[in-house]
Amino acid sequence: MTESPRAPATSRPYANTMDRPSYGPAPANLADILERVLDKGIIIAGDIKVNLLDIELLTIKIRLLIVSVDKAAEMGIDWWRNDPMLSSSEQGLADENRELRRRLEELEAGSGDAQDDE
Amino acid sequence: MSEQPADRGRYLFAVARGLDHESLTGTAGLRGAALEVVEHRGLQAVVCDVDLTEFGEDQLKRNLEDLGWLEEVARCHHDVVAALASAGAVAPMRLVTICSDDDSVRARIDSVFAALSESLGRVEGRYEWSVKVYAPRQEQGATVPEARPTSGAAYLQRKREQAAQRRTTGEQSLQLAEEINQTLTRSVVASRVLPPQDPRLTGRSDTMILNGAYLVPAQDADGFRDLVRRLAELNPTLEIELKGPWPPYSFATLD
Repeated sequence: MTESPRAPATSRPYANTMDRPSYGPAPANLADILERVLDKGIIIAGDIKVNLLDIELLTIKIRLLIVSVDKAAEMGIDWWRNDPMLSSSEQGLADENRELRRRLEELEAGSGDAQDDE
Repeated sequence: MSEQPADRGRYLFAVARGLDHESLTGTAGLRGAALEVVEHRGLQAVVCDVDLTEFGEDQLKRNLEDLGWLEEVARCHHDVVAALASAGAVAPMRLVTICSDDDSVRARIDSVFAALSESLGRVEGRYEWSVKVYAPRQEQGATVPEARPTSGAAYLQRKREQAAQRRTTGEQSLQLAEEINQTLTRSVVASRVLPPQDPRLTGRSDTMILNGAYLVPAQDADGFRDLVRRLAELNPTLEIELKGPWPPYSFATLD
C-alpha cells in the first residue's frame, strides 16, 4: 500500500478535525484534482456555459478524463479480454483454419465429399 | 444585469453552510482576487471577481486548451474548496462556474436549493477518501521460457493456455477489487466508483482496476485507514493506493 505524501509544513492544516498529525491535505496530483473538479462536467453551467466536448482539447490528458466517463471497459481495464489469442476474430480464424485443414484432408483422401457439414 | 461591470464576472467556487469567514483568511481567489461571500437563504456562496476577457465563453474555450492555464485555475479552485472544507460543510461547484453578478449567484442557489441543502447535510463533518487498486499487467510472453514446442499445434496450444491463464488472473484481480470496494462501502457513509484512469494519465505500467471514492466521517478516518491497510495485506497481488482526505467533491454533486 502506498500513501499520499505528507503535507508540507507550510500548508494549511486542512483536516484539523482529525487528531493525528500524519493527516495532510489531499495530494496535489493534477489528474486527481481535475477528475474531481470536472466530475462528469461535460457541460459547465453558470451564466457562461462551456461544453467541454466542443473543445478540441489539445491536452490529451484532459480528453482522457472527460471521455473516459462511459468508456471504462475500453480504457484497458479489461486488457486480458482483448487478448489476441482469445479474441473472437482470432478464434474465428482458428476455426476457419481447422475447417480448411479438414476439407483438404478429405480432398487428399480422395473422398471429394465437400457437402459434409457438421 | 445589476451594477456588475459587463467585463467582470463572479467565479463561484462553492456553497457553504455555517461558514466561518475567518477560514478564508490567507486564501486568495483567482489571479490574486479577494474571496468574497454572498449570503443567501442561510448559505454562503464563496466567489471572487474574474475578468471576462479571460473567463468569457470564447476565451474559456481557448484557455481550457492550455494545460498550464487549466492547472493554475484547477489548483486555485481546489485550494479554496479545501480551505472551506476544513471549516465546515461545503458543496464544491464545478471548475469555471461563472455568474454574471451576485444576483445571478443567488438565483443559482435558488434553482438548486433543495439539492444543495441535501448535499450539505450529507457531507457535513465528512471527508472523501480515494482508494485506487492496481493490478500488475502481465505482458504476453512474460512467462518463463519453456522447452521448444515439438509442433505448431503444440506451440499454439501453449500460447492459448498462457492467454487463458492471463485472462483468469485478470478476472480474479477484478473480482478482488470488487470485493475490496464492497468491504470499504460497507464501512462508510457513501461510496462512488469513478472510471479507472487511463495508464496514459497515471503514467503507470500496471492497470487501475478500481477508482473508488468513499465518504468517511472525520472521526472515522483512522479506522478507514486501518481497514485499507488490512485489505492491502490481504491482497498482496494488488497495489492499493489511499489518498485523502479530500473535500467531498464526489458526494456533493448537484446533478
